[in-house]
Amino acid sequence: MSARLARGLRASLFWGAVALILVYMTIPAFVVLMTSVSPSELLEFPPSGFSFRWYERAFSYPDFQNAFVNGLIVTAFASSLSLLIGSAFAYLVDRYVFAGRAALEAVLASPLIIPHFTTGFGFLLLGADLGLGQSYAVVIATHVVLTLPFVSRTVYVSLRNLDPALERAATNLGASPFEVLKRVTLPLLRPGMVGGWLLAAILSLTEFTASLYVTAQRTQTLPVAMYTYVREYTDPTIAAISALLIIFTTALMLLANRCLGLRRILAIDVH
Amino acid sequence: MKAQALPAVELTRVSKNFDAVQAVRELSLTIQKGELLTLLGPSGCGKTTLLNMIAGFDVPSGGSIVIDGRDVTAVPPYRRETGMVFQSYALFPHMNVFENVAFGLRMRKMAKLGIERAVGRALEMVKLEGFASRRVGQLSGGQQQRVALARAIVIGPKVLLLDEPLSALDKNLRRAMQLELRELHERTGLTTVFVTHDQEEALGLSDRIVVMSRGEIQQVAAPLELYRSPANGFVASFIGEINRLPPARCRIEGDEAVFEIAGHVVLRARRREKLTIAEGQETHLFVRPEHLTIATSKSSAQNKVSCRVTTHLYQGAYTLTRVDAGPLGNLQLRALGGEAIAAAPIGSQIEIDIDLDEAVILAG
Amino acid sequence: MRPRPFFLWFFLPSLAAAVLLVAALGEIAQYAFRVFTPGSLEVGGFTLDNFARLARPIYLSVLGDTLLISLATSLFTLLLSYPVAYAMVRAKSDFLRSLIMLLAVTPLFTGEIVRTYAWILVLGSNGFVNTVLKSAGLIGAPLGLLYTRFGVIVALVQFSMPVMIIILATALAHVDRNCERAAANLGAGPAQVFRHVTLPLTLPGVVSGTVVIFAWTMSAFSTPQLIGGGKVLMISNLVYLQGLSSFNFPFAAVLSLLALAVAMGSLGSMHPFVSRLELKAAIN
Ligand SMILES: Nc1ncnc2c1ncn2[C@@H]1O[C@H](COP(=O)(O)OP(=O)(O)OP(=O)(O)O)[C@@H](O)[C@H]1O
Ligand SMILES: [Mg+2]
Repeated sequence: MSARLARGLRASLFWGAVALILVYMTIPAFVVLMTSVSPSELLEFPPSGFSFRWYERAFSYPDFQNAFVNGLIVTAFASSLSLLIGSAFAYLVDRYVFAGRAALEAVLASPLIIPHFTTGFGFLLLGADLGLGQSYAVVIATHVVLTLPFVSRTVYVSLRNLDPALERAATNLGASPFEVLKRVTLPLLRPGMVGGWLLAAILSLTEFTASLYVTAQRTQTLPVAMYTYVREYTDPTIAAISALLIIFTTALMLLANRCLGLRRILAIDVH
Repeated sequence: MKAQALPAVELTRVSKNFDAVQAVRELSLTIQKGELLTLLGPSGCGKTTLLNMIAGFDVPSGGSIVIDGRDVTAVPPYRRETGMVFQSYALFPHMNVFENVAFGLRMRKMAKLGIERAVGRALEMVKLEGFASRRVGQLSGGQQQRVALARAIVIGPKVLLLDEPLSALDKNLRRAMQLELRELHERTGLTTVFVTHDQEEALGLSDRIVVMSRGEIQQVAAPLELYRSPANGFVASFIGEINRLPPARCRIEGDEAVFEIAGHVVLRARRREKLTIAEGQETHLFVRPEHLTIATSKSSAQNKVSCRVTTHLYQGAYTLTRVDAGPLGNLQLRALGGEAIAAAPIGSQIEIDIDLDEAVILAG
Repeated sequence: MRPRPFFLWFFLPSLAAAVLLVAALGEIAQYAFRVFTPGSLEVGGFTLDNFARLARPIYLSVLGDTLLISLATSLFTLLLSYPVAYAMVRAKSDFLRSLIMLLAVTPLFTGEIVRTYAWILVLGSNGFVNTVLKSAGLIGAPLGLLYTRFGVIVALVQFSMPVMIIILATALAHVDRNCERAAANLGAGPAQVFRHVTLPLTLPGVVSGTVVIFAWTMSAFSTPQLIGGGKVLMISNLVYLQGLSSFNFPFAAVLSLLALAVAMGSLGSMHPFVSRLELKAAIN
């Protein structure tokens, strides 16, 4: 009997601890959501009412409007380029043996280790010396390099999970190497590629540190504009934008979990 | 009579090395048009490698491959016109049954109407009419197997290659598919190379069987011949169950061959015309379990050996009985039904009769 | 082997990206050796002075702070992440597993500005914690949580947890449950099973997770910048001050190289504990 009691006690202690830790992880998001709909300029808990004024202000603030558009442009180009290059790279690593492969792998995986401010600073200097300044090209190049490891990783995992017999079967049925790629390999890699692209898009959209270095007023992305705002004002306008971003990413995660399986994208599952 | 047609596939001194491993060694083989040839051998003997070389997935390290009179040694797999069925079926998961079967025809730029007709016929042939729009994930193992077959035969391949196509199926389904495969072969007349390491499957299905070991051919023969006169000890013990007796000395006495084993056991067989064993030569005798019988007191058999029963293995239709035959070692008998279990209890001393007229006799 | 077609198609884009990155890092290395001309973006001839400057006590103390904060962050992250990862992998119900994963992983994708700003709202003197404590009558004057190392670490730990949880969950998912059952069958209690089987089997994940978070935290910028508010300085903040405020590119370059060296060094130190493969799996 006491063994059963001890077991129950241990389980409830464990789950209690897990719940507390999860509260710690999610409480900032809830505070942001609450603050964003509070009518007062000062932070208060519980909020004294309900209002959308900070949302209105956020939407009408020109810097945010520009930054939002900039961010979309950068994210669209960066994530798509990253998808193309990352998929090509994953295929390269999976299928070809060539001199310098290990070196190429090391270089393209290194943005995971290199501090973002180092990468950003490097691209700032590179852009300046190439006469490109802080143009879109430099921002996009930076984001591509930063998101590349994530895309190539997801596509690589999909490639590994691809049954090689499928490609052989297509070849045997008369498909040339190009047809095999087009009709069998690519369609089967699609979930992995969509997952990788999604990951790249989110990371690019929310990237801050490197962007701070490589963007100018004209090309600044949303996180940079938010940072600038936070340093100057204390009102909850940022809470409104943050709340929108939190809702957006949560919805995206839910969707990704449903359609692609989050565990698969994050490569947690055992196969 | 028709003039002898070109062979479907001709392999001449074909080898394949993977680094240090010699998977196939200087193997020559001619596959006749329309025959169902089985590659049989233990795991790792090079069956898949041989098949892959015919299909073009593995490039031979040496030798040449001719399909239908054309040297294809350097031809890429997608221009070889072979139809392969993979062990895992390799059905395209992103296409339905129709699309899977139509794939090879599309690659050949066939017109739409022609494709629909050909796919319909192929599905009918494998008894999958009405499954065209199913997703392949919704099919059972046996059905997937049929789709894979339909996909391979619909292109009218010069040779159909099957790599252990039935090994993923359970025993009953496997039996049924074996029959169907044989029927399908009869109807299509396609030259077929079938890989298996199940000897019963090979015996039941094939026109001819190629027994391989360590990358080399041990024997090529029709099933009946293979079972009754294996060319060497490997084939004898690989095909079916067989008792290998200790080495014997042979001498000819009139129309009898007399074998002396372990110095004092003497067994006799009728003299055979084909037997090419010289007097006094060391020989090896292989006897199938069904050619050993428990001797009754009335029987007047000549090769009586006394032994002790060690185990019975009841198999339903027959019983396998293991006995310790002293100088002859451990032997297995096969008797119909289960009477042997009561007639010869474990531990009892019995006499058995060895019928050497059906035995395999090989020079040492 | 048959030569593979399309090699260049796949190779050239990757090569281009690699060349860009190497060029950018090369620029930093190059600037690190140049003479700084105050008031100008142009740099002069070659010198080693920028490296000598690192030895000044102020910079050494920033480096020390950075290492200390990173170390504390990675350890606390490990302690808090393990139970969550365990629950996420082992929970019986599918729904619970998905819920925990969603809660644990989503913060990773909201971006550092949103997360940092959220912590300002939580930790500020009129923030969530102080308001709740005050209205509960537990404190009179607000606690000073913002602009302290403690506040910075609290925020950094929360940022780092999703990555740690992913790494640990991957390790836990690969533990063969039958090993644990075997131990239990041999008489080990739940705690002993965990100590003698589960933990050792996930040790590579634990080590690589801790080191990855250490390296990650080393390069955190917005958290010390906004929550530290100038009172807590890490290398990243120094690079920003030197590079984008004083426009001393050469010294900022030296600091960047230093951060890069520490990050790579800490990941490199993992080799004795974790095989290359696991390292790769962990950081990817
Ligand atoms: N790609 C490869 N690289 C290295 N060695 C290989 C490769 N493919 C096959 N081998 C080796 O060649 C030999 C023959 O292999 P193969 O697959 O042809 O055997 P198999 O007869 O089909 O066996 P099984 O019945 O197990 O399928 C084996 O020793 C195998 O290890
Ligand atoms: Mg095989």
